[in-house]
Amino acid sequence: MNDSSSAKVIEWLKSAGGITVTCTILVAIAVSFHKGPYVLVNTLVTGGMWALMAIGVSLLFGVMNISNFAHGEYFMIGSLTAYYIMNPLKQYLLETPNDFLSFITPILGIAGAAIVGAIAGIVTDKTIFAQLRKRNREGWLLNCFLITIGIQIILINVHMLVFGNTFKGVVNYWDVPSVAFGDVYVSVDRVVVFGIAMAAIVLFWYLMMYTSLGKKIRAVAQDENGARMVGIQVNGVYSTTFALACGFAALAGGSLLFMFPSYPTVGVAPLYNSWFIIILVGFGNVAGAVPGGFMIALFQVVTRTYMGEGWENVIPMFLIAMILIFKPYGIFATKVRSVWEQ
Amino acid sequence: MTQLTQDNSTGFSGILGKICLSPMGLAGLAILFLLPLVPPFNQDYMIRWLISGAIVAAAAVAFDFSAGYLGIVNFGYAAFIGLGAYTSAIISNKIGISPFITIFAGALVSAGLGVLTGIVSLRLRGMFAICFTWFIGIALMGLCLKLDWLTRGPLGLQCDGFFEGNSSLPYYYLILAIMIFTYLVLGLMIRSDYGLAFRAIGQNMEAAMTSGVHPTKYRVINFTMSCFFAGLIGGFYGHYYGILTPELLHTQKTVEVLVIAYIGGRSSLWGGIVAAFPFIFAMELLRSSLSDLPGINLIIYGVFLIAIMVYYPGGVAQFFKNLTARKQRSTSSTAQKAKTAEAGV
Amino acid sequence: MKNLNAGYGFLKVLWDVSIQIDRGEFVALVGPNGAGKSTTLKTISGLLPPQSGKITFDGQVINNQDCALNCRNGLSYISEELNLFTGMTVLENLEMGAQLLDDKNKMEENLQFVFELFPRLEERVGQYAGTLSGGERKMLAIARGLMSNPILVLVDEPSLGLAPQVTEEVFNALKVLNKKGVTILLVEQNVTKTLKFSSRAYILEKGEVVLEGPSSELITNDHVKQIYLGT
Repeated sequence: MNDSSSAKVIEWLKSAGGITVTCTILVAIAVSFHKGPYVLVNTLVTGGMWALMAIGVSLLFGVMNISNFAHGEYFMIGSLTAYYIMNPLKQYLLETPNDFLSFITPILGIAGAAIVGAIAGIVTDKTIFAQLRKRNREGWLLNCFLITIGIQIILINVHMLVFGNTFKGVVNYWDVPSVAFGDVYVSVDRVVVFGIAMAAIVLFWYLMMYTSLGKKIRAVAQDENGARMVGIQVNGVYSTTFALACGFAALAGGSLLFMFPSYPTVGVAPLYNSWFIIILVGFGNVAGAVPGGFMIALFQVVTRTYMGEGWENVIPMFLIAMILIFKPYGIFATKVRSVWEQ
Repeated sequence: MTQLTQDNSTGFSGILGKICLSPMGLAGLAILFLLPLVPPFNQDYMIRWLISGAIVAAAAVAFDFSAGYLGIVNFGYAAFIGLGAYTSAIISNKIGISPFITIFAGALVSAGLGVLTGIVSLRLRGMFAICFTWFIGIALMGLCLKLDWLTRGPLGLQCDGFFEGNSSLPYYYLILAIMIFTYLVLGLMIRSDYGLAFRAIGQNMEAAMTSGVHPTKYRVINFTMSCFFAGLIGGFYGHYYGILTPELLHTQKTVEVLVIAYIGGRSSLWGGIVAAFPFIFAMELLRSSLSDLPGINLIIYGVFLIAIMVYYPGGVAQFFKNLTARKQRSTSSTAQKAKTAEAGV
Repeated sequence: MKNLNAGYGFLKVLWDVSIQIDRGEFVALVGPNGAGKSTTLKTISGLLPPQSGKITFDGQVINNQDCALNCRNGLSYISEELNLFTGMTVLENLEMGAQLLDDKNKMEENLQFVFELFPRLEERVGQYAGTLSGGERKMLAIARGLMSNPILVLVDEPSLGLAPQVTEEVFNALKVLNKKGVTILLVEQNVTKTLKFSSRAYILEKGEVVLEGPSSELITNDHVKQIYLGT
């Protein structure tokens, strides 16, 4: 390694982001030694999915200036879809075992969740936000904020009304022995879910950076009128963005069905988490959402391990509040100031 | 500025205008005073609905004071209400002082947290500030659940009532008084130079700073006032229902208040009151008549909220403003439209 | 394009403004601040829906058509505030400008053309648009507007906030473009220079067309002389 790049690394380590990331890794290692490696496994599995949720929220915020407080409900839609795909299939498999079908059932469930989530996103955009865009751009941020609250209320209660106030979940995806990493046994489900999260994040990054769709989305995010001037159909881009963001949330919901059974308010915790992440790393910071996701997951796993159930919202919250006092724009804050900070 | 009054500075309505009321507003209040005496509203459950309406109305006024004017939506608002409620209940339980005094203690504690939040969140803008207050709310609710030696957690904390007997009527008049008190104090504040400063900061903090408005001072004052009344209302809530659970601090409760405040019309203060009574009443009516479909009232509520935000974001206050301004409108409409057109350039 | 009838009963800002531009013309729209010049362009481009009236482009009525669709039809709008994608490089901005073209070779050709027009941009190809200087941004905005092979280019205040030298450069580029057969509608406050470069001009005051005619005639008109040229 030459001098300039090592100097850069050292400089980054001294920055707020570097310090936090380093501390997080150290804490993760320390806790893993103290309480066993399952802390680490849980952190990785949930952290990846929280990152995915946060990317969705961040995307909606960056492109459309919508602070989506209904994002957790798309998580709920995802988990509900996955349940209604997986459960009947699993019932069917109990009577007629079929290796291929039992292999493909969870995949179908998770993919179905993502697709249904994306469709729900498009429907939301077309029925509500497209109407608002046509009518009234004044006070957009607050109007949207309230509308998403309305969506949240509707979706939670529709779930309650139609599907009931019960826990709908599956115990596991694949009935196969756990994978061994050294002495540690991790269920295949967890490994796959972690893989899905990473694959989705990489795919998203590729999409945004190198495809024409990604460039269009970025163009609209940076200057909507400019995008219209060069002939981009912004309404289409907005719908796509919504589909992507909600699809990711639903993907997370479908993938985590074995940990979070579907019930009306299952989306609240993921919603909180994605907002913690976004506030922690700064708005519109898609790259920061990944370490942020793991950080939040670790915070929560650690507090739950040491202080017990119920504290996992209190301690991270105070930590984030502390961080915000010193870094008001998040730990990876860039110099770019946007609409949402006014 | 949208006050209940138009600018008629003479006579009776002029005097009323000085205290932020108008003949129409006074008539509305008179109706509210007499309503529980007239059938069918004199039944106890109806009065209870009216009380919930008044609680939300008062809370919406205090909420709008910071959300509508300063532009900072206090998303942890329910937690401030809850803090006041718990403080009041705990003090009156442990020491045995009359609830009439302890609700002010609760209000002061809430205001204290408001000062802290105001100071700490000073460097934060827009969504960051909103989320900060939200996180404080979530953290407070978590604490409330976990500190069960003090709050009895999810089991619920018993608290004494204000009045002996089973009638809800005295409670109704008490909350009505609290509501009017809240409205008058905050309304007078908005009328003063403070109101101007609040709006200046809300619209453009930098510009306000350069014109000599000290954002620190005004933000903290605004937050403190808003939280003080939140605590006061919370105190009433506790002593009225007789039991407090951490659910009171939930974001969902903030949303309830927020929705009413916005349906009422942002930065109007009184809009919340006008919206709260019919709305809460209708919600309760729906809930009791459609009890076999749980949650259907909330679905309607959500749809209503979205529809209002999409089609009529000004809310009730805007509606009344249009109504009273209809006469002048015909002459000034061209100027208005030109303004909007120019703003679009 | 045969004629462009831009007539609006646009309340207060534009009062029944009618403008006609023939193919290949270099038309200027001049007037004082707040006359509604930029509003006119915005309305034609489709960013702002007209309140009434009719806008025809190439024989088609494009009144309430979205800006994006107009762009597809060969109408390019270069706004006053430029609307660049500040977080993208110069090249990416230009590519976005050409994103409607199916033909990759055509894009390369256009790229060569705009680099010839503004050599400065070629030097800055990899730089983020947000880090360019004011003049370079303006050049980039114009270049981006040209990437889509427009028939009609609407340019809003290209001289705003630019050094006189750079203004000259930009005007020359527009002239070159016009020679190549692109129709130009230019909105400007710098009346002398505009009238020198354009072939025909409209003078807009308080939302109404008060004068129109060939630029060479207008430059000797008493009203113009008195108010705009100060002689």
